[in-house]
Amino acid sequence: MWYIWDLSILLSALCLVIMLLLIARRVLQERRGRATADQRRQILTALIAFSENRDREALKAAVLGVPAGVAIDAGFEFISLLRGEERDDVLVAFNECGLPARVARQLRKGNVAERIHAAEMLAALGSDDASASLLSALSQDRAREVRIAAAIALCDLGSLPLLGTALDFIGAAGQRSRRLIELFRRFPRSRFNELAVHASRVDASPFVRAATIDALARAGGFGFADFFAGLTGDAAPEVVAAALRALGLTGHAEAPAILKRAMANDDWDVRAAAAESAGRLGLPELTAPLSALMDDEIWTVRYAAANALRSFGLSGERLLREIASAEVSRSQRTASLILAEGPAL
Amino acid sequence: MIADWSQEVVLAATILSWFIIGAGLAQTTIYLLQLVVAGYALSQRPPVARSALLWQRYGDVAPPIALLVPAYNEALNVVESVHSMLALEYPNFEVVVINDGSKDDTLQRLIDAFKLVKFHRPYEEALAHQPIRGVYSSPMTERLFVVDKENGGKADAQNAGINVCRAPLFCVIDGDSILEPDALMRAAQPFIDDPERTIAVGGTIRIANGSRIEAGRVREIRLPSRLLPLFQVVEYLRAFLMARLAWSSINTLMLVSGAFGMFRRAEVVAVGGFTKGSMGEDLDLVIKLHRYMRDRKRKYRIQFIPEPVCWTEAPETLSVLARQRSRWQRGALECFFRYRSMLFNPRYGRVGFLGFGHILVVDVLGPVAEVLGYVLMPAFWLLGILSAEYLLAFTALIFIYGVCVSVSSLILEEAELQRFPRARNLAVLTAAAVIENFGYRQLNNFWRVKGCWQFLRGNQGWGEMTRTGLGGAKK
Repeated sequence: MWYIWDLSILLSALCLVIMLLLIARRVLQERRGRATADQRRQILTALIAFSENRDREALKAAVLGVPAGVAIDAGFEFISLLRGEERDDVLVAFNECGLPARVARQLRKGNVAERIHAAEMLAALGSDDASASLLSALSQDRAREVRIAAAIALCDLGSLPLLGTALDFIGAAGQRSRRLIELFRRFPRSRFNELAVHASRVDASPFVRAATIDALARAGGFGFADFFAGLTGDAAPEVVAAALRALGLTGHAEAPAILKRAMANDDWDVRAAAAESAGRLGLPELTAPLSALMDDEIWTVRYAAANALRSFGLSGERLLREIASAEVSRSQRTASLILAEGPAL
Repeated sequence: MIADWSQEVVLAATILSWFIIGAGLAQTTIYLLQLVVAGYALSQRPPVARSALLWQRYGDVAPPIALLVPAYNEALNVVESVHSMLALEYPNFEVVVINDGSKDDTLQRLIDAFKLVKFHRPYEEALAHQPIRGVYSSPMTERLFVVDKENGGKADAQNAGINVCRAPLFCVIDGDSILEPDALMRAAQPFIDDPERTIAVGGTIRIANGSRIEAGRVREIRLPSRLLPLFQVVEYLRAFLMARLAWSSINTLMLVSGAFGMFRRAEVVAVGGFTKGSMGEDLDLVIKLHRYMRDRKRKYRIQFIPEPVCWTEAPETLSVLARQRSRWQRGALECFFRYRSMLFNPRYGRVGFLGFGHILVVDVLGPVAEVLGYVLMPAFWLLGILSAEYLLAFTALIFIYGVCVSVSSLILEEAELQRFPRARNLAVLTAAAVIENFGYRQLNNFWRVKGCWQFLRGNQGWGEMTRTGLGGAKK
């Protein structure tokens, strides 16, 4: 029993000593924090002065006069507010002071949060060596969040490797992240066919395929309508739903037939996407299948179908009123609720 | 004859002492293991990124969130709370306040402050709850909806909110709490990084007593000036930073606080939402989610992340605190016995063994064994039945290891997060972490045993929570 007592005293004393050391460390940090705040003020003042007088030498002197970490942090925040020639001038000054090299070092040696931030800063600073550092991070970094950030930065710099290669570097676990949506949305138009190729790969993750379809639909326009129509026959419901939503944005000659078929799909997400797209495209020929969907067992589908009917204008409203005044049923209740939506009279 | 009798007494006392010391040892071992796991998990977590960077990084891909705020007799705080919620930094969210049949003028204050008008909003009646009297919207902001319903308790109100909301994720928060402006963005991060597997995320609850609060925001973090809330600051640190982080890192988190938790709506609806009338509706929901996902052999994550912070008001009087702690204890026992089939059930893996094992040791046996020890161990020693060794071992387990665990939680906080602004705060908290083991801890265990007694007697009352109001108290 004595060892319980002895060990407790030992452990508690140890904890108290560690805590006292941490308190002492904090006192020192507080002093350092004040100095850092002063330096940050100096650098921001110099940047503001530079935007008035464009005195690059004075700016460089101010940047070199404070620790690189402070200059990088304050500088990055400041350049995110600038555009055009003024921004380019500041970037030249930063490059001459060697800040991108420091950021690249942070990309290699910092903790995960610092490395992600460094990838973003390198894209903003746009130095000559930035792409090489980012490519190295994309292919070698241990953390998938950093690899994704590096891919996004490379995309901004126009240096992203082939999409398949980039996704291989990001790894399977990283391919679940919604950050990929942002990566795809930044893709340049000239590389849209890569997105299309990936969206067609049946061995790729349905989440990633759906994200590529979404990005293409937002930026690619009608040029990909045939492609989306083809994907509505895919085996993965997530991909089919994304393709249907995309068709809702681009439109397609075969859209009524495709959407009608999709409204009978086993997956509720597909049925909801079909109803949503029918409403968006304004296809009154789909009134009958949409009325049938008002009796769907899933609320989201019923709601999408009713909204689609409502978006058809007077004819849709009339049909909803008919359903609402019929015998009590799931369709009747949905129709009444949709018709009542809005401020109470 | 007398010798035989006394031998039996000594034997019984020794067995009882071993049980008490065994329970204490088991608890202490769990705490120390939690510390090690939490320390490791925290050291692996990336340091906190600045809010502005988060917005830039995740703003475009952040999923829509509904903030559900059940309010019962919250007239004092509700308008300020809603203002602060509407000012949260998140690209796509709605605030759904559920007035749970308040007896005061909670609804009227909301109507006046936000010029609310009645509004028809179609919704899925996926979960059962007391009838809704009306839904209101505000011409001042399209983000705000107020649901006025008949009284049915917190879980019932939350279920009504889940029905009415339309976002795929919802976040529950108490009406008297204050979220940090970037809390939603931080809490949503696991749903962005791993949207398929993440089904629930809990953040940190911190105590706002003593801090300077203006316009529904914590402007300056200060420690409470009164002892009782100060001890609770240490307690919350221990609960969140040590316990939840540790359990989360092995995907066995059993509790996402009802004061601030984010959930995926589809799974919550699938398990039937919050259990009405439950004393620990938050614990109950998380256990149901574990059971549901494991029954279906689906991969999932229920995570705690320390960065998003929700500020709450801690009880400042013994009577209110006693009621709160008894209620929490009843909630833990109720969930433990309701889902007892999961205990040590191989089907539920680590949730059944570790999660439920932890509840058994810390919440079911722990308080009873400890309170028994307060009375019996000194008595046995005074009567000469037990040697001083036993008494010292018990003292070490109750007091000295307690100091070690509390101070270690503070060490974790300071080494990895540094959320207390001044070195002086740390010194005060270190003193509190030591002192709370001599009196406050014992009182707490007494309230928990009282909770056990109330549970056995079937007492289901919540008790009144007297509030002074976060903003008002600091003026």
